[in-house]
Amino acid sequence: MASRRRMLLKVIILGDSGVGKTSLMNQYVNRKFSNQYKATIGADFLTKEVQFEDRLFTLQIWDTAGQERFQSLGVAFYRGADCCVLVYDVNVMKSFDNLNNWREEFLIQASPSDPENFPFVVLGNKIDVDGGNSRVVSEKKAKAWCASKGNIPYFETSAKEGFNVEAAFQCIAKNALKNEPEEEIYLPDTIDVAGGGRQQRSSGCEC
Amino acid sequence: MSSDSSSSISNDGSTDQNPNPSPTAKPLDFLQERLASIALTEPNGGAESPSDQEPQAGVSNGSFIEEIQEVVQNNQAAGSEAVVEEVSESFTHGVVWRDNSEHEVDAPSSPSSSGYAGERGSSSATSESGIGEGGEDEIREVRNDDSVDGVSDLQQSWVPGKRHVDEDDASISWRKRKKHFFILSNSGKPIYSRYGDEHKLAGFSATLQAIISFVENGGDRVQLVRAGKHQVVFLVKGPIYLVCISCTEEPYESLRSQLELIYGQMLLILTKSVNRCFEKNPKFDMTPLLGGTDVVFSSLIHSFNWSLVLSGAQKASLHPDDMLLLSNFVMSSESFRTSESFSPICLPRYNPMAFLYAYVHYLDVDTYLMLLTTKSDAFYHLKDCRLRIETVLLKSNVLSEVQRSLLDGGMRVEDLPVDTSPRSGILSAHLGQHKVPTESPETSREEYIGVGGPFGLWHFIYRSIYLDQYVSSEFSPPINSSRQQKRLYRAYQKLYASMHDRGVGPPHKTQFRRDENYVLLCWVTPEFELYAAFDPLADKALAIRTCNRVCQWVKDVENEIFLLGASPFSW
Repeated sequence: MASRRRMLLKVIILGDSGVGKTSLMNQYVNRKFSNQYKATIGADFLTKEVQFEDRLFTLQIWDTAGQERFQSLGVAFYRGADCCVLVYDVNVMKSFDNLNNWREEFLIQASPSDPENFPFVVLGNKIDVDGGNSRVVSEKKAKAWCASKGNIPYFETSAKEGFNVEAAFQCIAKNALKNEPEEEIYLPDTIDVAGGGRQQRSSGCEC
Repeated sequence: MSSDSSSSISNDGSTDQNPNPSPTAKPLDFLQERLASIALTEPNGGAESPSDQEPQAGVSNGSFIEEIQEVVQNNQAAGSEAVVEEVSESFTHGVVWRDNSEHEVDAPSSPSSSGYAGERGSSSATSESGIGEGGEDEIREVRNDDSVDGVSDLQQSWVPGKRHVDEDDASISWRKRKKHFFILSNSGKPIYSRYGDEHKLAGFSATLQAIISFVENGGDRVQLVRAGKHQVVFLVKGPIYLVCISCTEEPYESLRSQLELIYGQMLLILTKSVNRCFEKNPKFDMTPLLGGTDVVFSSLIHSFNWSLVLSGAQKASLHPDDMLLLSNFVMSSESFRTSESFSPICLPRYNPMAFLYAYVHYLDVDTYLMLLTTKSDAFYHLKDCRLRIETVLLKSNVLSEVQRSLLDGGMRVEDLPVDTSPRSGILSAHLGQHKVPTESPETSREEYIGVGGPFGLWHFIYRSIYLDQYVSSEFSPPINSSRQQKRLYRAYQKLYASMHDRGVGPPHKTQFRRDENYVLLCWVTPEFELYAAFDPLADKALAIRTCNRVCQWVKDVENEIFLLGASPFSW
């Protein structure tokens, strides 16, 4: 039975500094773009309500700082994430090369129960720059990498022009949802007075 | 004042072999005795005086991290345990519960309460009133559809359940609330917020988690952050994080124990088995499991304004905290009133891991009977028990006695006996012979300073240390508005904290404190603690003498107001 309740999805955005993580989020949540670069300190948090297949979601977006000095925050931030978005700049090769590190680091720190199938989404950002002439990472190359990592969905985006941003986040919501574990019945133990009553851990229900 | 649990922890082993396995096997006269001796304290309604204006509290707009001034660390004490038998009964009737009211609408018709009309757009953010220190937790709203402030019935005017769901952390009204409570998971997912919609506060919740886990990552633990007038108090319980943000100037210990109680309330509903859900799945979203319990939490938080140390005997097997949480759960949930119910509950101080089952039936509007069992299929058996108990209660007139006591109320400062000879005779809620006729309170008061009891006595709380029970006087003029009552409780809270400040030499025995609001007198002996509030102009020597008389008075009627005997709540 599909529940109609609202769901909250925790989405982590990772990638090198300056690839446009905050800009993507601002474009998605506030439909705004600024050319001024302002480094994120630690992390920024935004929420957005999304309707998807007549269910209401709240995306809790964790926009993290790309600088290495913030990497120690990892475990704390990644815990319980529903989806991880990896962002690179199509005009900077290094930011693409680092996707692998970001992915590995996330899997180590978040240690999800099923790392093979944990939902990632890859975004190649800044495709608008210089009319695409300064581009150094081809779509083909990016897609090949995504395919090799278990068919990670890939989107080419422009946070500046709002291109593909909405579609990318729709996909993020969809993937996070796909990974939702089936709900189990919540059934704690009943107190067993005969066995002393206090704090004992019996397995299974006594009824 | 924080809930005091230290003296009511039962010893391991000694209470394990407990006789009396079922309530039906128990002599009912025992129950009767218990009923007769319950100290009934009901709030006394009164009209609000709108003159209570105080400077507006500052609103911090900066980020918490920037303003960290103090990070306190200490180790957390382990929880205590208690014992319950297979089938047990608990008859609660306002014993642990002061269902007073926290008003959103303090003085609806008062022109001075310009208030803050948050959601309606007509905000007057620079309002000079309405956010009084030590007064309301709330921002006052000017709304006509709310019931008028408790002139006759305070209980009507507190609307249970969640309010201001439209707010989020961007709302000015939300930022101005004096006391926030949050529950979140260690992944930063919101579970409960006192004000505002949890989902809209997801970003704020993430920020709280980031602060907590950032400190945790350093192998440390954040307990308290002071940011201007605000205190941010953190409590980490495994995968559950609890946070209070308050500018009420309550002591840290009080706020922390309030968080402990909120956590206890959550356990009462779900047991600690929720931890396993998080172990299995860190993404686990707890909110569906708590569905419909907003009102239980808001009612508990509301009660923090009024509940002090709770009743329960020293060797009580039902911990006072469990008692409080249980009665809050029952009394805040409307559905218990409309039909007999059977619900799984957990007593966190007894066994936080497992469920018991509670049979609840309201005998009349104010009185309910609760039977606890470990058997999930015992509903009909307990229904039978209830019918038998109810019959006896009706035949023996206990119920009508309870009703009468409720109407009569408890001890009144006006009734403080002038002589100190022991009072004898039958149980009477009005325990003195010198009752001043309520219809003419001004007359025959010439010898007193101001209104209230003799020599300016306004209110008192007496706590028997051995019994771990307290009695407090009814609220009398001039402490009649909920606002003034809350302010008095806050003053007691501070007094209590200053008397129990560990680490500052030997414990204090007495304290006499005079400020513009009260004379407060506190007296701590190995036997009892007395907290009394007087008119600010009260004479010191007379106040001390009056306190002696209060103590004598309480001792004289101790049989009637306290639960004596070995352990009234062990079974």
